[in-house]
Amino acid sequence: MDVLIFIVSGTLAAATALLFAAMGELVAEKSGMLNLGIEGMMATGAAMGFVALSVSGSHSVGFLAAAVLGAVLSLIYAMLTLVFRANQVASGLAIGILGLGLSSAIGKNYEGKTVTGLEELDLGPLSDIPLLGPMFFQQDVMVYLSIVLIFATWYLLNRTKLGLIIRAIGESPESAHALGLKVRLIRAGCVAFGGAMAGIGGAYMSTAYTPLWAEGMIAGRGWIVVALTVFGTWIVKRVAFGAYLFGSISLLELSIQAFGVNVPSQLMSAMPYIVTIVMLAVISRNPVFIRLNSPASLGATLKLN
Amino acid sequence: MLPKSLKTTLTAVAAVTVLAVPATAQDKLKIGFLFPSPIADVGWSAELNHGRQAIEEHFGDQVETIFVENVPEGPDAARIMNQMAAQGAGMIMLGSFGYMNDGLKLAQQRPDMTFIHASGYKLAPNLGNFQSRNYESSYLVGMAAADVTETDTVGIVAAYAIPEVVGMINGFALGVQEVNPDVTIKVVWLNSWFDPPKAQESARALMAQQADVIYSLYQDTPSVVSVAEEEGVWVINTSSDMKDYAPNWLLASQIADWSTYFIESTQATIDGTFEGTAFWGGMADDTVDVKSWSSSISAETMAKIEAAAAAIRAGEFHPLTGPILDQEGTERLADGEVIEDGAMASIDWLVSGVETRIPQ
Repeated sequence: MDVLIFIVSGTLAAATALLFAAMGELVAEKSGMLNLGIEGMMATGAAMGFVALSVSGSHSVGFLAAAVLGAVLSLIYAMLTLVFRANQVASGLAIGILGLGLSSAIGKNYEGKTVTGLEELDLGPLSDIPLLGPMFFQQDVMVYLSIVLIFATWYLLNRTKLGLIIRAIGESPESAHALGLKVRLIRAGCVAFGGAMAGIGGAYMSTAYTPLWAEGMIAGRGWIVVALTVFGTWIVKRVAFGAYLFGSISLLELSIQAFGVNVPSQLMSAMPYIVTIVMLAVISRNPVFIRLNSPASLGATLKLN
Repeated sequence: MLPKSLKTTLTAVAAVTVLAVPATAQDKLKIGFLFPSPIADVGWSAELNHGRQAIEEHFGDQVETIFVENVPEGPDAARIMNQMAAQGAGMIMLGSFGYMNDGLKLAQQRPDMTFIHASGYKLAPNLGNFQSRNYESSYLVGMAAADVTETDTVGIVAAYAIPEVVGMINGFALGVQEVNPDVTIKVVWLNSWFDPPKAQESARALMAQQADVIYSLYQDTPSVVSVAEEEGVWVINTSSDMKDYAPNWLLASQIADWSTYFIESTQATIDGTFEGTAFWGGMADDTVDVKSWSSSISAETMAKIEAAAAAIRAGEFHPLTGPILDQEGTERLADGEVIEDGAMASIDWLVSGVETRIPQ
């Protein structure tokens, strides 16, 4: 029973950082901006959030600082690709590397230090329900906000005029431009949102999930985010499902190891990646559907004056 | 734009100038240090850095130390150690296994310099390596773990199944069984050298399966230690003392102290008597020790631990003394047989009683 609680409640927490960054990346990619610098932005957010929290003592200040710095980094990427029309892939990778370096510089004096994690939200009687309480209702506020973010992202992209504009720009920035839409501005906004969310996701890792700073602690999670958006075929619910699936398999793997089941642990360590990719590939196997959802201009250099 | 030949000449002149400087200050030994991770308050690099500080303290004006932290294994490491050599370093400490081949290459090119390398296995007349017999202190903390566990379940968070880690798990398990043979020992392999969030998840996974003592094996950050403090579960860690991160729930810290070896190697370099040997320091020479024993360990067990520690220090007792069966039930050491150093250095089996299999 404890193991079940560990996996369910752990999954919600483990997926939170991924969800923040993935929802941000999804919005950016829907506008046609392939931001491959997520890993660096999460790392920078983690370092900035940790330092800001250590200095101010407030988690909110930590998340805010991480979001601002993440947005600033992503705006550099936006400037390179939208103003100077640099290649999106190369620019994204470069900003990602810059972000990793920046995280190391920001966190230099805080290496190996710890902070108090984000407190669990008090949900009164809900938290005391046997089994369900410890599974779902003993989490910190960011876990619930990440769930709100899933619905908000879905609503934004599919039910608002702004969402329609974002998707139109992602399909054909030239046509959108001809219609008088401010392509660069909206793309920059989407990228900044993505960077801010990646920053918050990173800060969640360093100030709530594992409340400590150590260089390299993001350990590839930014790349998982990029993979989730692509394998989730740019559909909000699939990306969210992928994040939860990845989180749960990661924890399941550790539990199975602890049970002493005789499976090679290297294979177990690869399971979260394998299962997530296979599952998402299976549910997204319709090629027509993929083409319909994939932003047609994704990764392409802007052809506007 | 300068003509290419002129540019080359200028570069060559610049290089010669740089090389010429140290020759004038040859009397002071310059020692270079390469650390694999950032120097934090605790962890592997922090302990190596304490060794560097011990050298500075001991030799004072006779030496000058330079260091570069967070050096990735591969071309960067080669570049940095070559640069140190060019700057006139007479001795270099290589702080990671993966610096081995580049270090050996440089050692062969520069017979006038000496090198000490952490945890490698290749030697040269001017390249020695150093390791610690951590399995000795693992045995002692294992005894303590068996004493405090109420669920009779202890969990280990380990990085990779390399011989050193396997040896420590075996030492730990034998220590546990010495005090209480009924304790279940679970292991989670991270298959990653560095992933603090995953280390913390692993600790929680073990706690969910009733482990009330967590052995944080070579986790460089306080990730496991702090989650244990938060959850109120006993924790043991390696490399550094992490009492500050878990004031209530730290059971003990296994530490490695490189000061003695570093100072001896430096002295040998100054005297010109350096030999490239494999140093395997243990409790006998104070390289390995246990700090911050919790006061919750029963007096009876503590007395046993102290007796075992004294026997190990005196060379009268080796934790891996037969009869020892492995997980398959095969007898690995006969009654009274002590494992040889060679077998210990390449150990790839876990003792019976450890639940999780070793990754093959």
